[in-house]
Amino acid sequence: MTTDDPKDEAPTDADATPDLATALAIIAAQRHRAEDTRPSGVLLFGIWGAAWLVGYGALWLTSRDDGDPSLLAVVVAIAAGVAALVVTIVHVLHRTRGIAGASAREGALYGIAWPVGFVAQSMIVGGLAQAGASGEVVALAANAIAALVVGLLYIAGGLLWRATSMYVLGGWMALTGAAAALTGYPDSYLVMALAGGGGMLAGAVVVKVRARD
Amino acid sequence: MTDVELDPVIHAQARLRVVATLASLGSHDRIAFPRLQKLLDMTAGNLSTHLRRLEEADYVLITKTHEGRTPATYVELTLAGRLAFETYTQSLRVLLGGAS
Repeated sequence: MTTDDPKDEAPTDADATPDLATALAIIAAQRHRAEDTRPSGVLLFGIWGAAWLVGYGALWLTSRDDGDPSLLAVVVAIAAGVAALVVTIVHVLHRTRGIAGASAREGALYGIAWPVGFVAQSMIVGGLAQAGASGEVVALAANAIAALVVGLLYIAGGLLWRATSMYVLGGWMALTGAAAALTGYPDSYLVMALAGGGGMLAGAVVVKVRARD
Repeated sequence: MTDVELDPVIHAQARLRVVATLASLGSHDRIAFPRLQKLLDMTAGNLSTHLRRLEEADYVLITKTHEGRTPATYVELTLAGRLAFETYTQSLRVLLGGAS
């Protein structure tokens, strides 16, 4: 059985007919190579898991005493979220450049659903605050609704790309936000950091290990 | 032995790599020529030659378009190409299985 890397073939051999096992190996190798045209679940789960762990972790650590997170923690949390968002956008654009057609259109529509979800989330939270909700209620609702938006969009993405790991993680995120709301403020931040951030990091590890099989 | 035959258009080192790569994209997806070239590590001339052969067989569709002022060439596997690749892969498996 030949296991030569097809890339090592000289151009003059390009017209040569490969033996059967080599042909199967070529197909497998190119399928693997084409993975480069899709975003990496490991990277995206990893970066968002880290952002949630650090951001919500900072909020929780500084809000245990007087009930309010410090300004520094808020800045850290926002910076972690923005950094993860920038990495996500750059990574997705880099991986999908030069690909047009059906999946590019689906991907664009899916991408637009994110700001739509978060604009709705901030409007709901604003509405609650306007109606006289306490800071505690606003904080719990903001977290839980954000997690619900992320969770349901992950579920939609999992269906769109037939990625079970993404679907499962989406369900986990939605339930994590709900559990955080039930836990109460400010320990809700700890639930978001550990179950949410930790859950995504665990998801990254699972995807990585399964890809190696 | 079975009387399975391998499609000669696909059963050549370079074209198999091209078709396998295109088949890995979603159906109805097009890929820009330079990106495809990068995924294959082939020279532009070499890739063009093989694409022409695949186009003659109606296995790929080549679209020339403009992105702003820059001309751009996109390549996609046709339905016939996708079916031919699936048949080819199945034939390979049958032949390999039948050999044992």
